[in-house]
Amino acid sequence: MSPKPIFQRFFVLLIFGLHILSCVNESVKAKPSIEINDSIAVWIAASKSKVLSKIERKKRLIKSYEAIRASKIDSLQLRYLSAISYQHLKLGDTLLFRKRNKEALFFAEKLKDNFALGDLHWNCASFYINSQLYNKAFYHFNLAHRYFDRGDYLNESAMTEFGMAFIKGRFKDYHGSEILIFKAINKFKRIENYKELCSSYNHLGQLQSDIKEYDRALYYYNKAIEYVDKVKNNQYLYSVIYNNIGNVFLEKKEYAEAIRYYDKVLEDKEKFKNINDFARVKDNKAYCRFLMKDTTNVAASFKEVLQIRDSVNNVGGLIISKKHLGEYYAYKQDTLAAINYITEANSLAKSNKNSRDYLETLYLLSIIDHKNSSKYLKKHVLFNDSMQIVERKIQNRFTRIAYETDEYKVENERLSLQKIWILFTSFALISILSLVYFLRVQKSKNENLQLENQQQKANEKIYLITLHQQEKLEKEKIKDRNRIAAELHDGILSKLFGARVGLGFIDIIGSKVLKDKHQLFLDELQIIEKEIREVSHVLSNNSEGTQINFTTIISQLLDNKCKTGNIKYVLDFNKHIQWQIIDEKTKVNLYRILQEALQNILKYAFAENISVNFSLGATKKLSIVIKDDGVGFEVEKKRKGIGIKNMKSRIDELNGTFHIYSQPNQGTTIEIQMPI
Amino acid sequence: MENKKYAVLIIDDHPLITEAYKTAFNFYSKQNEDVIFTIQTAMNCDSAFELINEFSSKEKRLHIVFLDIKLPPSKNGKILSGEDLGIKIKKLLPDTKIVISTTFNDNYRIQSIFKSLDPDGFLIKNDITPKDLLETIETILFDPPYYSKTVVKLLRKQVTNDFLLDSIDRKILHELSIGTRMKDLPDILPLSIAGIEKRKRNLKLIFNINSPDDKELLLIAREKGFI
Repeated sequence: MSPKPIFQRFFVLLIFGLHILSCVNESVKAKPSIEINDSIAVWIAASKSKVLSKIERKKRLIKSYEAIRASKIDSLQLRYLSAISYQHLKLGDTLLFRKRNKEALFFAEKLKDNFALGDLHWNCASFYINSQLYNKAFYHFNLAHRYFDRGDYLNESAMTEFGMAFIKGRFKDYHGSEILIFKAINKFKRIENYKELCSSYNHLGQLQSDIKEYDRALYYYNKAIEYVDKVKNNQYLYSVIYNNIGNVFLEKKEYAEAIRYYDKVLEDKEKFKNINDFARVKDNKAYCRFLMKDTTNVAASFKEVLQIRDSVNNVGGLIISKKHLGEYYAYKQDTLAAINYITEANSLAKSNKNSRDYLETLYLLSIIDHKNSSKYLKKHVLFNDSMQIVERKIQNRFTRIAYETDEYKVENERLSLQKIWILFTSFALISILSLVYFLRVQKSKNENLQLENQQQKANEKIYLITLHQQEKLEKEKIKDRNRIAAELHDGILSKLFGARVGLGFIDIIGSKVLKDKHQLFLDELQIIEKEIREVSHVLSNNSEGTQINFTTIISQLLDNKCKTGNIKYVLDFNKHIQWQIIDEKTKVNLYRILQEALQNILKYAFAENISVNFSLGATKKLSIVIKDDGVGFEVEKKRKGIGIKNMKSRIDELNGTFHIYSQPNQGTTIEIQMPI
Repeated sequence: MENKKYAVLIIDDHPLITEAYKTAFNFYSKQNEDVIFTIQTAMNCDSAFELINEFSSKEKRLHIVFLDIKLPPSKNGKILSGEDLGIKIKKLLPDTKIVISTTFNDNYRIQSIFKSLDPDGFLIKNDITPKDLLETIETILFDPPYYSKTVVKLLRKQVTNDFLLDSIDRKILHELSIGTRMKDLPDILPLSIAGIEKRKRNLKLIFNINSPDDKELLLIAREKGFI
């Protein structure tokens, strides 16, 4: 006979899985802390209470949802939100579930809360399993698994692996399912979750049984039982596993052994949480007895089970019951009844998309209904082929999803690495650019300074040249004046004198008046001579203005500056300083320094009095002290400006020393010493 | 009265002046017939020196020399001015009465000429009138010396001053007054800059001047007749 009612097993698993999920969610979501959170937790708990009506429970959920949305979303609130969405799912309100879940996912992405992300995807997976969209369920399990793995949530990670294993098993990817379940078992062992270990081994047993490795299946079931012993309230688990063991023996055709296990389960009808479970075991036992050809009361048992299943509208169960009844009537040679039951089962399986039962019923029909045997066989073969293709496709898709996730992971890593690189290189680039910029600015500043310096030097040169030029000009002028003076004095004056004396000795014969007039003109001539001599003297008197007088220039400078700044000044020159022997360059520099210092005093010091003192120190040193009574400044703190730097460089050029003494509100004193 | 013959040499580069002096001598001799002048003239140092040499070598007496200070120098460059010529005359013809006739009227030159030549007559050309000239001749002949007005004034000033200035001090003052630069002074004077500065400070002390520059020094020195 064909393999036993696998659909039933999946159904059990489905409920079982969901039960586990809900347990997990409950444990996570019962962590209230603050008052609002307290009430939210209470509401959520209330929404789970089976005492209240579905509408009441929904109301509680909406209330808690509003409370959460009113406050700021943190990771705790996020968990509540996740719980709410899950409760909606449990209450069958898929519309609100999808809405809440989507919202919660948005916040989870924002907060990058791995647990919440995993949990929410898990919710999605549950939703899709309910809707029998296993592709999508697998996809979400995979995502959830990834987030849980990332957050190191071992239990949840294992749970999702279990979920994926379940889906893979359903589509006959036994190998893939096994790998996943072993991964999950490893994790469950680490956290000593016996209940889930039991479920995992149970699943392994089912996988083995599906590939007809019955001994291995039994081995795993026994392992499962070992773990069941460590779980409290384990009656239900026992019943599931014993039923499965019974199924294995059934497959092995060890019917007596099978019945022994079924009876173990059926001992106490009370321990069944679900009437379907009871119906299933009872059906299995009856079918076993039928296979042992012990047909007494088998038909009654089948019919009882059929009734139970019909009452709770368990379609899957109904199909199996009808199929069994069909087989029973075929055995009893009541072909018509047999064909009727099996056809019913066949159409139910078709409408319910239960491919396995559909195939089995087709096969049965081909045996029983001799007239249409070939037609049913053909259908069977065609459907079997297409189903295998579909299954293979789905298997491939699972692989692809897992692979894509892996690829996504690798890509993600690559991207994040790339991001780091981009960040690093851009940072480096920016620093290099800013460095280059800084250097350029510095360089241009330096160039500017140098240019300024050069210009200053050029200015000084020009100044000196003009000074020399002026001196030369002055010399030439003096020479010229001297020449003119000499010409007047020696030439014209002498000739005039000669002429006058000569004239004087000419004896004029005439009236007294004429003689007097003659004398008068002679006297006049003498006066003219005197005047010419004086002119000549003035011309040759060159002592004034021939030497550019440094002291005068300095006092003029001080006078000008102090007038503009409305400052009183005292200027004192030591008499013994021989300005004539100090070269022009030194004088120019001194002049410039004084100019700069005065400029600074005018600009910053707000002084009322200035004193400038030129004196001769010991060892023939010229010392200049410029003092003001202005606001002063802190010499150490102040960055040296270009003015002070210039003064200093000038002094350095003259091999002198330069000091500034100042303190806030105590004026400033500049002391300069330099060799002559 | 016995006729007296006097040999006269007039040295001046201006023919007008030599002519004028000649006229003056002739005028004098016309008025005083017992005085006869034999007048010779020289227009430059060379010809003057030649004549002087002639007098000297022939041991002829030269009584009076009218000597201009500003003269074209000799070709060999040994005699630069009337002053140098005067020194030669004093040496070669010590009995000759020298009358300086010059347009220079600055104190320094006058003093220096007094020092070197001790002339019997000192005429500042523009001081004198034809009458003065006749008087000069008379005084020189019979009762030297004759100094013209400016010279007398200067001498008087000097007598009243009790400053003690040596020739170098005077030279410094003179050079400064004509606008010579301090840095060029060491080339002219046998002194270093520092030495000159020292003397200058000393001069300022003498003249009681406080100002650091030379303007005032020169002003006072001129007032006191040193330049």
